[in-house]
Amino acid sequence: MNKELEHSFIELLEEHQNIVHKVCRLYTNNYDAHNDLFQEITIQLWKAYPKFRGDSKFSTWMYRVGLNTAITLYRKSKRRVKTQEFDAVQFKIKAEDYDNTEEQQLKLLYEAVYQLDDINKALVFLYLEDKNYKEISDTLGISEVNARVKMNRVKTKLKTILNP
Amino acid sequence: MDELELLKKHWKTTTDSDQKLSAKQLYPMLLKKSSSIVKTLFYISIAELVFWILINFLPMLSSSYLKELDQIYGNNLAIVLLSVVTFSVVIVFVYLLYKAYKNISITDNTKQLMASILKTRKIVKYYVIYNLSMIFLSVPISLYFTSQNDSELHDKIIHFTTSQTIVFYLITFVLTGICVLIFWLFYKLIYGILLKRLNKNYLELKKLEM
Repeated sequence: MNKELEHSFIELLEEHQNIVHKVCRLYTNNYDAHNDLFQEITIQLWKAYPKFRGDSKFSTWMYRVGLNTAITLYRKSKRRVKTQEFDAVQFKIKAEDYDNTEEQQLKLLYEAVYQLDDINKALVFLYLEDKNYKEISDTLGISEVNARVKMNRVKTKLKTILNP
Repeated sequence: MDELELLKKHWKTTTDSDQKLSAKQLYPMLLKKSSSIVKTLFYISIAELVFWILINFLPMLSSSYLKELDQIYGNNLAIVLLSVVTFSVVIVFVYLLYKAYKNISITDNTKQLMASILKTRKIVKYYVIYNLSMIFLSVPISLYFTSQNDSELHDKIIHFTTSQTIVFYLITFVLTGICVLIFWLFYKLIYGILLKRLNKNYLELKKLEM
């Protein structure tokens, strides 16, 4: 691979790395695992980069590769998240930005999201990233209607957790 | 405020600034080796192919084995035919496996990516089934031919009663069956562990489309 390609890739990755960090935050629960997954996603992005034609935005392309790596390719199971090990600190909920109820709600919500299975997590992730149902269905390979139905089920599930 | 809106608001304002990596830190990452499931699967399938190719072809290198084969089957044509078929099957499987690996693309949608990986695994599975079936069939067949051509064995078998002959072949079948089954279970265990999560997620996505 030539230096120019490497340089342009690193520039784009540096600019959009927050997307990769967010995927890592959702699918891992400690610093080592986070770094491991970040590394694997970077390798997969780099391997696929020569085929990136620029007909979609780099960030959109990153969502797909990032999620595919986290859901399908990543296999360091020992370091993967265990639901009981949810760590609120990792989600940086600052007390000064939220009142007590909101802070409590946020903690519960993140904990609930953490307990979702891989596919539901991906749905919530794309929803939180403001992706529309067309983009969600394109990324996961399901129909738009089913993405909507599934998302509504997740919303109800989260509501029930907050208001038992 | 709607629960998810509260979550979204927080999610969007959170940045991983403390984990932000510089270009200098990102460059070395490009040189690291991937530890993805596809790579593991690739190595396992290559190992399986090599294993079965060796099982099939190594004995052919021994002249005494070839002589024995010649004695058992009577003429060279059968051996040549057997080798051609075995070799063709290997070539077909290598080609199918290569094509399947080329089709795995990280930029496909999640469901398609999972389907491509599982398809690759299926090809290896068929190759193993083919080999195990060949073993299962070839042991009793070769035993039959040996008994016809080996005078010592032939003399023993000829004195068997009908029921003794049936029991003799039945035991051969059962023993070969057990060996094949152990092989199969071992194989299922390896892939079962490796692809457990992938299978689960793929089923979850497929369930959505029902």
